[in-house]
Amino acid sequence: MEYRGNIASPGIAFGKSFVFKPYIPCAEQRSLAPEEVEQELETLACACSKAREELSAIIGRLSIAEPDQADIFAAHQSILDDVELLEEIRQDITVNLHCAAWATRKVYHEFSALLQEVDDPHLSERASDMEDVCNRILRCADGVAEVTLSSLPESCVVVAVELFPSDTVLMDASKILGLITEQGGITSHTAIIARAYGIPTLLGVKQATQLLPTGTGLVLDALEGKVITDADDTTMEHYTALREYELQKREIAATYLEKPAFTRDGVRIDVEANLGSAAPSALAAAGYTDGVGLFRTEFLYMEASQLPDEQIQYQAYRAVLEAFENRPVVLRTLDIGGDKTLSYKTLPREENPFLGKRAIRLCLDEPDLFRTQLRAALRASACGNLWLMFPMISGLDELRAAKQAVMEAKAELDREGLPYDPEIKLGVMIEIPSAALIADLLAKEVDFASIGTNDLIQYLTAADRLNSEVSQYYQTFHPAVFRLIQTVADAFRSGGKDLCVCGELGGNPAGAAALIGLGLRRLSMSPSSVAEIKHLIANLALTEAEEAGRKVLTMSTASEIEAYLKLFVSEKIKAEQKV
Amino acid sequence: MVTAEVIIKNKTGLHARPAATFSTTAAKFKSDIKVKNLNRDSAEVNAKSTVRVLTLAISQGMRIQLTANGEDEEPAVDALVALIEGGFGEL
Repeated sequence: MEYRGNIASPGIAFGKSFVFKPYIPCAEQRSLAPEEVEQELETLACACSKAREELSAIIGRLSIAEPDQADIFAAHQSILDDVELLEEIRQDITVNLHCAAWATRKVYHEFSALLQEVDDPHLSERASDMEDVCNRILRCADGVAEVTLSSLPESCVVVAVELFPSDTVLMDASKILGLITEQGGITSHTAIIARAYGIPTLLGVKQATQLLPTGTGLVLDALEGKVITDADDTTMEHYTALREYELQKREIAATYLEKPAFTRDGVRIDVEANLGSAAPSALAAAGYTDGVGLFRTEFLYMEASQLPDEQIQYQAYRAVLEAFENRPVVLRTLDIGGDKTLSYKTLPREENPFLGKRAIRLCLDEPDLFRTQLRAALRASACGNLWLMFPMISGLDELRAAKQAVMEAKAELDREGLPYDPEIKLGVMIEIPSAALIADLLAKEVDFASIGTNDLIQYLTAADRLNSEVSQYYQTFHPAVFRLIQTVADAFRSGGKDLCVCGELGGNPAGAAALIGLGLRRLSMSPSSVAEIKHLIANLALTEAEEAGRKVLTMSTASEIEAYLKLFVSEKIKAEQKV
Repeated sequence: MVTAEVIIKNKTGLHARPAATFSTTAAKFKSDIKVKNLNRDSAEVNAKSTVRVLTLAISQGMRIQLTANGEDEEPAVDALVALIEGGFGEL
């Protein structure tokens, strides 16, 4: 049998299933006789005190090794000790004569519902913390010891409805071959844990705990998103080889992570990171990349509840510049509109938002909003190597208007005596076909450009990248994509200006090989792709890549190009692995 | 009665750990302490209850109002304002 699920962390695993069922407290709903009230209050107090002891012990064990996880349990402790929750539970026992377990569950559910009503994604996570704490109290009331994934009998594929922080605390990841859960989204606790430990994981496998009882032999294919229970010898052989290959590839790629990328024939390729925040986890990319090829600034606007002021922006930009020392950080000005909206600002309602007032179009129409960001970016430019890039440029008019706005912001800072980098580089994102076709004209008026392939493909093929009905027309490897990139690459090379690719194509080995072949020397990608791409580059000679690039330009369909490039890349990688 | 208005500076707002720190600090005082999210025009809730504070969904940049009533109302408000101004150690 085969069951489908959503991939939370890629990889292959096989082994026996182990259904992990956290203790389910009996949902007793007993009414009390008035003389029992005292005793139930005592039961509640004892359960809470036991729960408090457990949490203190967990925090004690985690505080040094895993301070982030310890914070989760410190939050649990403050929920457990919440004065209002405790008071309401006591009231429910004394006034409504509900038994302690019933009252606890009822009050926790009410508060958890309050959190879920608020339109804020952080709070739904807190609601799941409340469920975790409630279960802990009820289990303690039943006098049952805690079962976690810290002591598994043997290596297995863990199957669960959903995993909570309490289940995975001090988890012995070496015994967990894979994870399968019935519930949970890509941002759930299970998914975060799975990615942190690199455990192959599928979420949303319906009825998994019933269909895959403990001891079921299974293959977990978290590359294709399926679980196979009755694999025959041929299938097993296929997966054994595939798993071996994937593991080896990952292991080898990891050894390239921190090295600078040179092709086999010694050409340096800059591998940069796309960042979407200034959080410490994002800044870790400074340890293994040549800079930030795309610093998206939307997070400052989308995570806040009002427009971020100049100082907040300045601090965030400065943090990134300082982390990357003198390496370039390409800051893209606000790209809002299209699929990205702001809760606190009404944007025009449009029939076709992707073709509407988006990014630079919005900024030029809202000079105050744009000026604030430009001032913050210019001020930050005094602390590092900042390059400023405008998104959604279709022609020279917007570019000139944007450059004019930068001039004005510089003049303001001059008057105020605030420092900035007077030589700051200005560039454009090439994501609209009209801009790509006049790349030679743009190259004369900018210092650099970056090709945003995700939107470029969408606009080139007229296929909304968010509409699954037309996904077959959104073709990453469409011949037109490569022809257009070649036009841009040639124009920037003869203009002597820097060019980078910051779309997903550059983080895809097949795409990266072709891009290098077409003349790109800078690729910017999600930090998780860096090791794999550096590994590829080290096994690729520029002459081979150029030949592949030329071949691609003669091909007729996306499937032909994709198949050719994938084979080309896998041969380069395989050649090394045999050694 | 002492009241104060203050803008949340730390990145994660009063979610998770900062909410707990906030309530634990409030609980150290005898006064009755209430908090209100002015941006969301919320109700006033008990500042000593972490979960109540969470329901206010207070994010970075939002303005909140603190009101304390009791024998130690002044130090209570001062301590909470200092905590928020200090960014809960996240700045």
